[in-house]
Amino acid sequence: MRIFSLLLVILLLSSNVTAECREKECMAKEYKYQENDGSWHTFYYDNIFNIGTNWYIIFDYPFGKNDDTISFEFSTGLGKVHVYDPDKETDSVSFSGSSFTEETFNLELFVNITGSDEIEGAFVLEIHVNKPSAEDMMYLWGGMTVFWIAIGAYTLFLSNRLRELSNKSGLKDGKRKKN
Amino acid sequence: MKYSREFIGITGFLLVLGTLYFGLIQTGPAKYFTAPNAQKLFYLHVPSGLITYLAFLMVVGGSAVYLYNKSDYADRLAKCSTELGIVFGFMSLASGTFWMKAEWGGDIVSRFLTDMRLATTLAMWLLYIGYFVYRNQPENSIVKNNAAILGLSGMLMVPLSYLSSRFLRSHHPVIVGTEDQGSLDPSLRFGLYMGLFGFLLIFIFLFNTRMKIEKMEREMLKLKMENG
Repeated sequence: MRIFSLLLVILLLSSNVTAECREKECMAKEYKYQENDGSWHTFYYDNIFNIGTNWYIIFDYPFGKNDDTISFEFSTGLGKVHVYDPDKETDSVSFSGSSFTEETFNLELFVNITGSDEIEGAFVLEIHVNKPSAEDMMYLWGGMTVFWIAIGAYTLFLSNRLRELSNKSGLKDGKRKKN
Repeated sequence: MKYSREFIGITGFLLVLGTLYFGLIQTGPAKYFTAPNAQKLFYLHVPSGLITYLAFLMVVGGSAVYLYNKSDYADRLAKCSTELGIVFGFMSLASGTFWMKAEWGGDIVSRFLTDMRLATTLAMWLLYIGYFVYRNQPENSIVKNNAAILGLSGMLMVPLSYLSSRFLRSHHPVIVGTEDQGSLDPSLRFGLYMGLFGFLLIFIFLFNTRMKIEKMEREMLKLKMENG
């Protein structure tokens, strides 16, 4: 019982909050794009998409952009559309870490900036999809160990108890020994 | 058969080993999972969860029969099943925690508080920990009666935990009894059933042994009382 309680407490305490960095400073790449009217858009992103970790692209845009939308679409078809908030100058879009399952190089991300009716800008960014080394092996073995520890410890406990009782009482299978 | 119990236990153990060989070596990392290796816990996590439900349902059955006719066997059955339910419940909860951490990430404590499948299963497990602790005192008819009433609460807790991922807010996948069960990859199904059968045999072995111990303890106590 004590072992179970201890293991449970360890499991609960070993938890932690993992936060992904959503700041511009954390982004490895920066891309600037100038519209025909001279206004600038700046995109901050990591050119490595790590499977299992959410991927963000942050963008600065000219203040007061009404009705404009920006779309991000990977060559695989996965995409998102974002409407500019006229009260902001910076915003971001995220893609879930489970968006991709396989390693891919030079994956194209098509970016389109659309005004009220017409496309105001279009360009392509390239990223690589990385499959991180199997860190989940640790969790696999942790989980597997639980089964063996629990079954092993309980079997050992029962076996010791049975032997102890048999020795103490002279009983076998709950019945008196016959003389 | 003299060694039938041991035979059942060893067969169960071999089947679980077979499941591990099948899951870890034969099939390779799973596709479509963020944590393709930790997914292998599926083959034993699901069976341990189902066996936990079985054990706690046996507690409910034993408790109900005891309250009805004061059967000593039913009381023993309920008491021993609780212990096994706690052991298998621990395996299910702990292995699920490891898998969840790998697959979903984030904070484990908040997941246990906000995901209804996790919360209700933990609550069910803690309830039977309470039952177990309560029974760790000299036994008399009042203790047995109260324990049986507590044991009956599984009638509510087991279905609540089982159905929570279907009807309440939960990220926990639902497979058994849904269309997804039929669409499970045959290899997944084979590994799952092998693990389930293996754990069932281990459960039977441990349950029989525990019942035997309980019987011996009660017999000893009776002898002691007879001899003053």
